[in-house]
Amino acid sequence: MARLWRFFRRFLRHKKQLIGGFLCIPLAQLADIAITVKIGGALDRLRAGSPTDFLAGIFWIILGLSAFKGVFRYLQRWWIVAVSRYVENELKQELFDKLVSLPLAFHARSRSGDVVSRVTSDVENIRMFLGPGVMYTLGAVVMVPASIALLCTLNAPLALTMILPLVLMGFGMKFFTPHLHRWSEAVQESIAEISSRAQENFSGIRVVKGYGLAAQQCARFDEASERNRQNQVNLGRSRGLTHALTHAANDLTFVTILVLGGWAMIDRSLPAGDLFKFIDLTFKVFWPIIALGWIAGMYPRAYASAGRIDELLAEQPLFSDPHDALRLSSPRGALTLRGLSYTYAGAAKPAVSGVSVDVPAGSVLGIVGPTGSGKSTLVLCLGRLLEPQGVLELDGIDVRRLALSDLRACLGYVPQDSFLFSERYRDNIAFGSDTELSDARIQELVELACMKDEVAHFPKGLETLVGERGVTLSGGQRQRTCIARALARDPRVLILDDALSAVDTETEAQLLANLRRAGEGRTVIVAAHRLSSVARAERILVLGKDGRVEAQGTHAELLERPGWYRETWQRQQAQKELSVL
Amino acid sequence: MSSTDLDPEEDDLVSSKAWDNAILLRLARYAKPHARLFYASFGVLAMLFMLDMLGPWIWRHALDGPVHAAVSARERDPAADIGTFVRQFWYWVGGYLLLVALSVVFRYHEVAQLNRTGQTVIADLRSRLFRHMQSLDLVFFDRRPTGALVTRVTSDVENLNEMFTSGLVVLLFDFVKIVGVLAFLYWLNWRLALVVTAGTPFLIGVSLVFRGGARRAHRAVRARLSRLNGYLQEVLQGIRVVQVFRREKAVSARFAQHLDGYLAANLKTIFLFALFFPVIDFVVSAIQGTTLWSGGLSIAGAQLSYGEFVQFWFYLALLVAPIRELGERYNILQSAFASAERIFDILDTRPTLEPEREKTSPPGFSTLPLRGHVRFEHVSFSYTEGTEVLHDLSFEIRPGETVAVVGATGAGKSTLVNLLLRFYEPSSGHITIDGHDLTELDPARLRRAVGLVLQEDFLFAGTVKENLILERESVTEESLEEALAASRADELVARLPGGLAHPVAERGATFSTGERQLLAIARALAGDPRIVVLDEATASVDSNTEAQIESATRKLLEGRSALVIAHRLSTVRRATRILVLHRGKLREQGTHAQLLAQDGIYARLHRLQFAESAG
Ligand SMILES: Nc1ncnc2c1ncn2[C@@H]1O[C@H](COP(=O)(O)OP(=O)(O)OP(=O)(O)O)[C@@H](O)[C@H]1O
Ligand SMILES: Nc1ncnc2c1ncn2[C@@H]1O[C@H](COP(=O)(O)OP(=O)(O)OP(=O)(O)O)[C@@H](O)[C@H]1O
Ligand SMILES: [Mg+2]
Repeated sequence: MARLWRFFRRFLRHKKQLIGGFLCIPLAQLADIAITVKIGGALDRLRAGSPTDFLAGIFWIILGLSAFKGVFRYLQRWWIVAVSRYVENELKQELFDKLVSLPLAFHARSRSGDVVSRVTSDVENIRMFLGPGVMYTLGAVVMVPASIALLCTLNAPLALTMILPLVLMGFGMKFFTPHLHRWSEAVQESIAEISSRAQENFSGIRVVKGYGLAAQQCARFDEASERNRQNQVNLGRSRGLTHALTHAANDLTFVTILVLGGWAMIDRSLPAGDLFKFIDLTFKVFWPIIALGWIAGMYPRAYASAGRIDELLAEQPLFSDPHDALRLSSPRGALTLRGLSYTYAGAAKPAVSGVSVDVPAGSVLGIVGPTGSGKSTLVLCLGRLLEPQGVLELDGIDVRRLALSDLRACLGYVPQDSFLFSERYRDNIAFGSDTELSDARIQELVELACMKDEVAHFPKGLETLVGERGVTLSGGQRQRTCIARALARDPRVLILDDALSAVDTETEAQLLANLRRAGEGRTVIVAAHRLSSVARAERILVLGKDGRVEAQGTHAELLERPGWYRETWQRQQAQKELSVL
Repeated sequence: MSSTDLDPEEDDLVSSKAWDNAILLRLARYAKPHARLFYASFGVLAMLFMLDMLGPWIWRHALDGPVHAAVSARERDPAADIGTFVRQFWYWVGGYLLLVALSVVFRYHEVAQLNRTGQTVIADLRSRLFRHMQSLDLVFFDRRPTGALVTRVTSDVENLNEMFTSGLVVLLFDFVKIVGVLAFLYWLNWRLALVVTAGTPFLIGVSLVFRGGARRAHRAVRARLSRLNGYLQEVLQGIRVVQVFRREKAVSARFAQHLDGYLAANLKTIFLFALFFPVIDFVVSAIQGTTLWSGGLSIAGAQLSYGEFVQFWFYLALLVAPIRELGERYNILQSAFASAERIFDILDTRPTLEPEREKTSPPGFSTLPLRGHVRFEHVSFSYTEGTEVLHDLSFEIRPGETVAVVGATGAGKSTLVNLLLRFYEPSSGHITIDGHDLTELDPARLRRAVGLVLQEDFLFAGTVKENLILERESVTEESLEEALAASRADELVARLPGGLAHPVAERGATFSTGERQLLAIARALAGDPRIVVLDEATASVDSNTEAQIESATRKLLEGRSALVIAHRLSTVRRATRILVLHRGKLREQGTHAQLLAQDGIYARLHRLQFAESAG
């Protein structure tokens, strides 16, 4: 219960609506009871030949009471149900904020379909439980004692025996709950599974189609769907048991009433009208109890979901800013790396190991090395997207003493996978900037990225919407857009991770020239495969297969030494010379 | 680039003019294969209903019979022997107990059976929906955020569960119940029953008034939800960009906007239904009040006995309950209808490509292996009207030939691949393989014959081996080994703990970009493809490995047709033919030496690349 209590407390924060809504409950219930009493009274007075003038009055009273009840029912629903929506949104927002703050390590190990289903399906479960749960529980809290008290005034022993089946029900519930819990968890997990499978399929649809994997994908999806069905059916069975139990308690009560009530009538200690009232009231006592039983059936599902949400909320960012974090007002962009290493969770060996290098402000650092040598990893460490071991300094200050946002504020990053958002083209560029960008500035950036001609050909120019991940752009267009986005923030340190791999030679030459111009005064870090892109760098870092620095120096220096760099350079040259032949 | 059709605002709001009945009928069609489950559900509900009806009957007989007799006997003579009455009374109680026991059993089945029915039907519908989506074109997927699509197969489908349980079964049953009870009421006392019936037009009127607004509101809710989830999904995928650019606050604000929209839509439904229930309740009270009034008059006028009235009153309660519940259910129904519309919207989307069948092919053709003779004849193509991406393109790739395509970025190279694999249909011209138009070929067969490496390739969660094999029969241990060696992925696999059994994370996130490309090449080569398509397959691979792959694959490509797209001219130098694509037009064509001699675009590109590395 403690688990859900925390979520329940979020409800309680919306005091005004809740109090208003809850005040409505007894008022509406009172009106309801008054209607019953009025009808009961009327029935008592009805005899053959009795006067009928009171009937019209009763009719209008019933209508009046019903209208009265209606108003409060309306307010009750409107306020209380709305609160459950507020809470849902707050919860979603909180989860979202949590998710964007979590480190890459978390995102790499979790399946996005699963995460999404926590934010959607699980939150929904909580809402569906707590919303009506709150309403009906409180309704029952008001209604049950009131009705029982009223019943007691009619016939105390009869009223008190009704408690027995309730106790029985309580015990029975205890017995079924473990099953409910088990299947609820299974259901939530299988929903997440379905969502992951669908998610993967849709985002890899080109490969799915290209390899004709539809049948296989359908089979896998069906499998997940079937698993979900099984779990749901089992959960349904457990819920059926609780449902039957609640009704059994209800029915037993009526048996009791029949026996005792019949007996009391025979004894003539109970007039017929009273028995009618009694039955009607019992109905009213039991309706909230049946609702409670229903809620008890939902509880395990909400409980399982709460657990999954808690898991997310309990995830911690790798690090948080120190409270005495230093602020950098005007960073220069000098980087110092000392023995920088990073090992991925679960990996046997470090991906980057013992990298030491000085990058003076305004200089260019090239990072080269074979596939999988750790270039991207190293670059991610610079922005502390991965938290490396060793020392990393910006302008001579250990980045761990800096506010994270200050460090990232001076970085412009072009990711290797050139990710874009499905927004307007211009929004994707503006995404990079902390401030609003003028049209002129965006044009300038588009030109810098050699995209001017192509953007002009887009159906709506800068306003054109880009598909998810940028699917409606060509590979090279995506990359260049990412470059424009990085430049948009006028970064002190520009990081290019294999950012020219998908552009042709002509555009590359143009881009390099533009970048050189735009990079003037900036620190530029270039990870690349084509050595020509780094040849002009002040310093080149050659990473080996094991993630260690194999050599470093200028282009000329590296050419003098035998090693990977010289070999590769010579091969690249040879290929070109060969091809002239 | 698509323009208007990308607009999520319009795209997401599925509006259909379908009436509730039409939707219900269609849903019933999907439920039909599971008719048995529905019959069972009906059976359970009918039993419960009967038991519910029997209850009051027993009560009446117990109270009016023995109890009444005993009371009157005692009234006449306080010392009268009422033993027989008491015994009779106990019989009735025993009967009632039996009834209670039975109804408990059926209560269990009420939930279990209905739930089973609903879940089975939606599981079926979900599979159907997913299968249908697999047959849709890329155009469909290009336009829609994955998160929104996922929402349709998950949340929207789940929302239908209520529809099949509360909806089809209970609704129908409630209806039967209402009609049944009403008929019974007429039988009991037609005059009073007439009074009751007089209220129904009000009920129907109220429902109709609310329906329009409710449906619109629920549609908005579903659309907003789908957009919300789409955004969430997208941000998760781009998380590193968000974090490096410190856009956490900005995306959070955007998400908040989506949430606000979602909330506003929800509040609207809450408002409508908060209003709806009390109104229905009020009408019901009015019916009850009127019945009491006229019943009272009849009792007073001695046209009706008190006992009869009480009985009528009891059964009236049986009528009132389903009506109230219908009110409650109406909300669920409208929400489910909104989801159903969204699901039907997809099911009604037809693939724009022609029916995927081998139409004019000779018998036995479809089992014949393709040789892989590719021919483009005057092919033009545009993604959106008005912007031609490819213009009048003609070339051919004979088995054993490697054709390379070079050209500026955005020239339309990847588009060639999209057309060859029939992801899209050329707007004019033909593409043939072995002389058969692509439209005559079963796309599945075509694609089985192709080994494909996309510019933006994709690894599935699973193991490395699963990703390489992809359940193709054509992949054998030897061919896999050979492919791994040719793509230089063997070294990588050897390094992985577990080797081929090494787990792959979603999208292959734990591999470097180059490593992913190596695996994709291995995958393409492993299936003994007739046609190999490599779109920038080694763009992120170091030149050493690239050279090794180039020479290793040359042997593998013997006898196969290959289409190779590359920016690095060194990789295409040896191609049988090089096509130079410029702004969607084929500008030059020939061998490396011929093109250099021609001194056109290719020669210029070549000089540039050379100059660049020299400087
Ligand atoms: N799915 C799509 N919808 C709309 N337009 C598209 C789509 N895919 C590509 N385009 C557009 O078509 C043109 C050609 O794209 P294509 O991907 O074929 O270029 P490419 O030659 O492969 O370029 P690159 O070398 O950069 O990969 C581009 O202008 C691009 O914006
Ligand atoms: N999230 C991860 N979890 C575990 N291992 C990873 C992860 N990401 C990368 N690796 C491994 O770390 C090593 C370095 O990867 P990285 O992406 O830094 O290489 P790279 O030099 O950028 O390669 P490329 O040239 O292909 O871009 C690789 O062997 C890779 O398999
Ligand atoms: Mg990399």
